Formats: sequence, C-alpha cells, structure tokens
Amino acid sequence: MIIAETLEQALEALAAGARPIAGGSDLVVAHRSGKAPLPAQLVAIDRLEELSSIEQGEDGVRIGAVVNHARLVTHPLIIDTYPSLADAAALVGSPATRNVGTIGGNVMNGSPAMDTGAPLVVLGAKVALQSTNGYREIDVADLWTGPGVTSAEPDELCVALSIPTPQASTSSAYVRLEYRRAMEIAVVGAACSVTLSEGVVSAINIALTAVAPTIVAVDGLEGAIGQPPQDVEALVQSVASEQASPISDLRAGAEYRRQMVGVMAKRSFAAAVARAQGEAIAVPVNRSIGIGA
Amino acid sequence: MVQTQDRPFIRADGPDKVTGSGRYVADLSLTGMATAKFKYAEVPHARITKLDVTAARDLPGVFAVLTQADVPDVRFGAIPDRTLFAHDIVRFEGEVVAAVAAVDAETAQQAVDAIVFEYEPLPIVDDLEAALADDSPLVHEAWEDYETGVVRDRNLASFSSIARGDIEAGMESADIVISSRFETDASHAVPIEPRGIVAQWEGDKVTIWTSTQVPFQARGGVCETLQLPTNRVRVIVPHLGGGFGGKCGFHFEAHIAALARAAGRPVKLIFSRKEEFLAPDRRREGMVIEVETGLRSDGTIVGRRGRLLLDNGAYTADADFFSQLAAMHLAGPYKIPNVLIESSLIYTNRQPSGSVRAPTAPQACWAVESHTDELAAAVDMDPIEFRRLNAIDSGDVGVVGQTYGEIGLQQCIEKAVEEIGEPAGDDEAIGLAIGWWPSFPGPSGVYVKIDDDGTGQIITGAQECGTGAVMTLPMIVADELGMEPSDFQLVYQDTSAAPYDTGATGSQTLLNNGRAALGAAVEIGRQLRELAAQHLEAAAEDIVLENGTASVVGSPAVTVSIVELAEMAADENLLLSHGSSEPLPEVPLEGATCVGDLGVAAWSAPQFSCHAVRVKLDRETGVARVLEVSTAHDSGTIINPIGATGQVEGGVMMGIGQALSEGTVYGEARQLNAGLLEYKLQTSADAPVIKTQFIQIDTPNAGPHGAKGLAEAPNVTTAGAIANALAKLTGTTLRRLPMTPERIWEETQ
Repeated sequence: MIIAETLEQALEALAAGARPIAGGSDLVVAHRSGKAPLPAQLVAIDRLEELSSIEQGEDGVRIGAVVNHARLVTHPLIIDTYPSLADAAALVGSPATRNVGTIGGNVMNGSPAMDTGAPLVVLGAKVALQSTNGYREIDVADLWTGPGVTSAEPDELCVALSIPTPQASTSSAYVRLEYRRAMEIAVVGAACSVTLSEGVVSAINIALTAVAPTIVAVDGLEGAIGQPPQDVEALVQSVASEQASPISDLRAGAEYRRQMVGVMAKRSFAAAVARAQGEAIAVPVNRSIGIGA
Repeated sequence: MVQTQDRPFIRADGPDKVTGSGRYVADLSLTGMATAKFKYAEVPHARITKLDVTAARDLPGVFAVLTQADVPDVRFGAIPDRTLFAHDIVRFEGEVVAAVAAVDAETAQQAVDAIVFEYEPLPIVDDLEAALADDSPLVHEAWEDYETGVVRDRNLASFSSIARGDIEAGMESADIVISSRFETDASHAVPIEPRGIVAQWEGDKVTIWTSTQVPFQARGGVCETLQLPTNRVRVIVPHLGGGFGGKCGFHFEAHIAALARAAGRPVKLIFSRKEEFLAPDRRREGMVIEVETGLRSDGTIVGRRGRLLLDNGAYTADADFFSQLAAMHLAGPYKIPNVLIESSLIYTNRQPSGSVRAPTAPQACWAVESHTDELAAAVDMDPIEFRRLNAIDSGDVGVVGQTYGEIGLQQCIEKAVEEIGEPAGDDEAIGLAIGWWPSFPGPSGVYVKIDDDGTGQIITGAQECGTGAVMTLPMIVADELGMEPSDFQLVYQDTSAAPYDTGATGSQTLLNNGRAALGAAVEIGRQLRELAAQHLEAAAEDIVLENGTASVVGSPAVTVSIVELAEMAADENLLLSHGSSEPLPEVPLEGATCVGDLGVAAWSAPQFSCHAVRVKLDRETGVARVLEVSTAHDSGTIINPIGATGQVEGGVMMGIGQALSEGTVYGEARQLNAGLLEYKLQTSADAPVIKTQFIQIDTPNAGPHGAKGLAEAPNVTTAGAIANALAKLTGTTLRRLPMTPERIWEETQ
C-alpha cells in the first residue's frame, strides 16, 4: 500500500492502477465479508490536507473528499445552510463509522442506499474528479450509473464536492425509513430542498434513496410551484411513490418501499419547509420529527 | 434477609472486561498452532455421492483433513441422531462435512476449496404441517434406530401433551370460545463473541480452551464422540463473550481436538459471524401456535385447547423436551380446569434448534398473551383485571396439577402496572403480559479454601456467561464467614480443577452452585469456629464470625482475626471444604396427565413476571418504538441487586429484538439473513427506559437464602407485552413474530 503524501503522488498511483482508500469502511468491510477482495494495490489518501477541508467560497461550499461524516454533522455551515447533508451524515452507521467514513468514499462507492446521495442531488452538488490527465466537475446525479458503478474513469480521484449557495428562504432535509437507531442502512429515504417566496413554493427538488439502481431525482413536481406548502404534501408523496422503481429484498418488499418513499418524501418536504420558514429542526430530522418517536 | 444485599460490590471479572485486559479464546496463541476451517454442506438435504479430501491433504501447509471416516462412529444428542461430520447424508446447510488444519487461514481455505464434495439433492422438508403428513420425505430415514425415551414418529422428533379435566365438557360449558393462530420465525442467540476453540494434546491428554457456556457438557461430548476417558480431557473457558444459550451444548470441541491430534500440533478455530449464525445447533425454534379458550361471560376461563408445532431443525441437540416446555407456556400461569394441549417437535432440513435463553417461552408467551388480550376484549374486561381474575396466586393449582406455594405473580402484575407511565397521545399505548419460568435443580459443586494469609479461593465448576451468577459467589461465601467478597478469588471454568456443574444453562447457576458455595462456606465456618473456640477458650457454637474476626458471643472485645486463624490453620488442619447442591424435594402433580413427560411439568421454585410496556407507533410506516418498560419479577430472594437488575434489562432488550426485529428469513431452507446487517439486533440507541422491581417472597426449596433463577425469566414476557400495546394501536392482533414494521403496516392497510 502506498501512503500518499501529496495529491500528485496519489494521482500517479491511480494512473498506475492502484485504488484509493481513506476510511476503508466500504473496501475493508466488503473484503472481510467476502463480497469483494481488496484491490491488489491501494493508495491511502486520508492524510492529504488538500482533500480534508471545508471551505466557503463566493458561490458555495467546497467539501474535501476525505472529510468524514462526523465533521459534517458538527460543522456550523453545513448544519445551517445544507442541513439535509448533516441529517444524512448523522444517520450513517455508528460514531466509529462516521469518524472513519468519508464523504468522497460514500459518493464514489455509489450505493443506491447511500444516505448522503439524495441530499447532494437536491442541493445541486458537483463532484470534482482529478487525474494525471486533468480535472473536471460533473453533477453528482451524472456520476452514478448503476449500483456501485460510476461514470468516473479508474484513474480519476474524487477530490471534492462543491455545493452552490442556496437562494434566500431555502432549506433542505433528509429523512429515511430505518428499523433501528444505530448501525442501520436506509430501507428507503428522501431528501428535499425547497425555496419559499411570499408563502408559496417557488422551487422544489426531491431525490430518493434505495428505490432504484441509483439515487434518483424526482421529476414532475412543477405542480407544486406557486402553491402554499401545506397544499403540496399529498402531491409530493404520490409523485415520489410513482417514480420509485424499488426491488423486494431482505429489508423490505417493493410495494412497502414504494409507499414508504412517498411518506419519506412528504416528511422531508415538511421538514425542509419548516426550516425554510425559520423553524429550528435539529439534525437529524429522523430524531426530531422523523420515524417512530 | 441476607446481608449481602447492602454491600457495595464490584464483580470480579468487571475490570478485566472493561479495560481489555481479559483474555478470550481468540486471544490465545500457542507455539506451532495451526488454523482450522470447516467444509460445510451448503445444501439443506442431499445424499453424498463423493467426498474426496486427497487433493486437500496434499496441499503444502496442510497438516490434517478429517471427515467422519477418521473419527469413531458415534451418534450423539438428546436424541442420538447426529455424528461429528456428515455421514452419507447432509441434513442442513451448516452441517460440517470435513475439517482442515493448516499453517494459516488462507491455506486452510485453499484446502477447504480443494475438497471434492458431490451429492444428489434430496427433497427439502421445511414446512411444519407438511412434515407430519404420511407421505412427507423423512429427514432421518433411520429414525427408528435412534434409541431414546421420547414419544416420536417419522419426522415427529418429540411429542408431549397436557390433559386436565374434561376438555369437551369444559368447552361446552363456555359462553364464549375464542380461537387464535400465530406463527413465529426462528431467531438466534447472537453472542457478540463468535465462538473459538483451541485444542492442544500433551501425550494422551488434551486441553481444550473453548467459548462454551457448559464446559462439563462440552467435555462429555468430546469423551463420548472421541471415546476418551473423562480424566484425559480438560476443558477451560477463558472469559466468555456472551452466550444467551447459543453456546450451550456440545459443539465443535471434538472436531478441533481430533484435528489437533491428527496435525500433531495445537489447532485453533475462530468462527466468522456468518458461521456463528449458521453452524451451531442452537437456534430459537420457529413455531405454529393454535390456541382456543372457552370463557364464561364473567371472564372465568373454563377450558383451553392448544396445538403447537415446533421446528426442531435437522438434529435434536438438547431440544427433545421443548415440546413439553412450549405446552407449559401455552397453558401459562393461569387457572384452567379443562385443558388439552398437544405439542410436536418436528424435524426439518433447517439448522437445528436448541436452548436459546428461555427456549420456547418468548414465542409461546407472545402468542398466549396476545390471545389473552383477545379473551379480555371478548368479555369487555380490562386486560389487567382479566389477568388478576385468571392468573394463579399462592395456593392455587395450575394446569398440570401443581399446587403453588407462596408466589408473587399477582404482586408482579400490581407493581409493573403501577410504574408504567400514561400514553402521551393516541399513537401511544400500554400493553402488558405475564409469564413464568422454572428453576432447574441439578448437581453442582464448589471447593472453598482459605490460605495462610487469610485470603480465600472459591473453586467452582460453574460457568460465568455474563449473567454475574458466578460473580455473586464471593458475596455468598463472604457473607457466611463475616469476610469481604474481595477477600476471595474465583477459580472457575476449568473442568480439571473444579467439581461438576451443569453450566450456564437453565438459569441454574445461582440456584445450584450458589447452594454448593453456601454449603462449602458453612463447612469452612465450622472449621474457623472450632479453631477460634480453642484459641478463645469458648464453645464453638458461641463463636461469631464478623468483620474479619472471630469473637465469643456477648464478648465482642475478645477477638481473633481470621488472618491469625488462617496462619494457625496452615500449620495444622487446612481450611479446606467442599459443598454440593442437594436435590430439591420432588414437586407432586395431581389431576393431570402429561403424555411424553420429560420432567418439565412440575416446577421447583417457579419464577413469575409481569412486563408492562409503553409503545409508540408511527402508523404511516409501521415503525414501533418501545418507550418505557416496567418490569416486576418474582425470582425469590435477590442476592445481588445490581447484577439482577442488569439481567432484567438485558432480557428486556433481547425481548424487544424478538418482538420487533429479530427473525430468520429462509429461502429453500437456507438462511438468507445470516449477518448483523440484515438480522437486526436492537442497539443501545434503541433502549427504552427500563424500570425493575423485585417481589421478594420467602421461598422454601429454592436456591441459597431463597433465591430462584433470573437469567431467562426477563426474556419471557416482553414480546407479549409489546404485542398487546401494538394490538391496541393497530386495532388488530398481530399474528406473526417478529412484528416488523412492514408486517405491522400490511396489517393496517
């Protein structure tokens, strides 16, 4: 294993066929469970300072790829401006998982059940990919092409996520269906970002977790625009359920998933609206108004 | 009352376990030690057509590969239906076909992969009703050859019934008859430490370090299957990382001992989590439960019919008596004059079932307590009132004709209900359930010695599986001798150092080993008093042992310390004693017939409990959360309140898991969720507020100072209480366990 001291070293190692490792919370677990052997050559990127900062710029925030979930949950800017991302990061695994698992790793692992994915989609995040051949930024929604599959080239390293500054009177929330309160994975989930203007919805974005081969953005919410938020909840719920294409597996049947993702969408919308109206709903929504009690 | 209750107490294994200095099997390493791996059937039912280990044996770094051909042809188990390795036929996916010892884990795995294992699939038996049909394929074609005293036939491994009064007349006299049917998924013990075994031979003697709850049974299994005399097998248990019944019985110690002998070096086996799920013959059995109860319009129960089908899995392990135990729980702690309950333990091609914490009870109690709330509703009675009316009290006769002495069930109901909070809105509700559990008397021994500096050792055969029962022994001994618990060290979990004990099973440790420890302490006390009497020139019966000294009654100023006495004894007659648990008197039964009586109808020192729960339901999702649990237990005298409270809290958490999230999922008799991600335990983040009260009633013919067991009882009632809260919230009785969010949601659509 190569321990990269500079980004250039890391990119060179990738170009030579190594795979990146930071927290190892996906790679090592997959290896131990026999799902996928560890890659023959690894390059450790967790010590790269240039990948570990959260920086606010003029247009938005840039989150380094090796920022872990625990930092996202406690970062004032993320909590205030991008609360759906904090909602999601707070639900990942256990304190141990959140302290080693990174946002870049979560994004590049490309699981359709990943918690941070739906918030990143509704927040309009771009993923920054770099290789020895160059640098590009793409919408996160264009990154995921199937379960565990991304459009990134093998030699491209995710170096950061950048999220634009939201408009005024905008907030967001993420809610997932979970059967227990720790060491859980999303049965289904939904993130919503909403902008209010003079008491009506002026922009709305919803994305769904664990109901399709990738995180999916919900289309067909135009009917919500211009409506008072309380009149839109039923629409949000039904549109989200209709657009889900879930599978049946050990965690849930397809029909239950379809119905539940509508409920999650409705609740994420309600929480995002409340936040946009200035109501303090603590992170994560799952513990404040979300599931169960 | 015992003095020990008021003493501050730090359990002896606590600091080791908390600081990480404690050693478990996985921490052991011996010179030249090889790594073991098993080849599993991975098919639920098949006839072996080829098993060739030549290529595996020839691999460099492989020290031994064993199959049934390499070990004595011995069948074992409560019904002797199993051999160490598969023999001609494999009957469940986790059956061991061969075992490998190699230089490291990778080489061992290569050897496993190099074993040629070919088979013809046989029809799978995995439906409990169909398995009883005359035309069902048989799990054991040769079942008639297995010699045992159990009532059985074809796939019926064990049958038991309770008949009392006249069931036809009783049901006819009823104003209302309510019938219910329930099904439960199997579940698992899930100890956090997956099991490990290390075996090492020196000459013709073998030492086996193993994570078992029952070292003497493990030794017995090794001796039986490898045909060795008892004194050549030594079983030692380092710290045990939990068991919950899953590490009861005899498991893989003989495989590893045989491998170590063949390899000519120590061999170590450490299970993966998946193996811990699939290979042991300890799974909480799935059940089909049918119950029909006749009532008078005033709420009095006049009759009960019941039919139970229990999934035995492929082999019987220790489950032969489960048919009767389940029948006892379907009857429940109620006064019912006319009863007919028939209970069948049925072979299937699934993993064997066996003792998991309170075997049969949580499922049967869940069903019968759900049914009881249906009964109360049918006569428009409050469920609490209904139970007060029908539950047994001191002096009452139960369904098997046992007259119960002083018992605290009614007080348990009172106290548990008293402490549960009010529902905070219409998405919250209170549910309650009552349950019972026997205490199991059995042989058990302890040695006590006090060395020349006045410090003592308690050498016990008992096994500490986390309950704290063994840790309570120094309290009992010190209390008797006027010394401090910290004056004693425990020597335990070593079959060659200590006398026999049944093990951490059946909540029996304190009941039996506690009596043995008390007996040994009484004997040492006699020796100390005689020595003090000589020294203080008084009669031995006038010597008082208190605060580390001996004094003459009425003259507290004239003393000799126990340290001084110990020093004297070291030059004369050593302070050395043993105690063993005397058999408890037999419990008479009158007026009932138990076909297939396996000795669990008559209960010594029965334990009772009531759990009341406050549950909140998210109706849109079916997600239920238990917010509060109020428990009351009659487990007799409580010797160690901190430990006892911990037992109840752990039992409640396990009960919540069984109620809401823990269940096996099968496809073609293979478990699909054999891992901690998809088999969902409750976590500490899910824990409710748990309140615990003990109803302490003087109980004759119980454990030391009137203590009964407490390890399993707290696991009996929780699921039933949660079910009754959910029935209120959903307006329907939930008929499948676990009551997962999806099942609750489906019921309410």
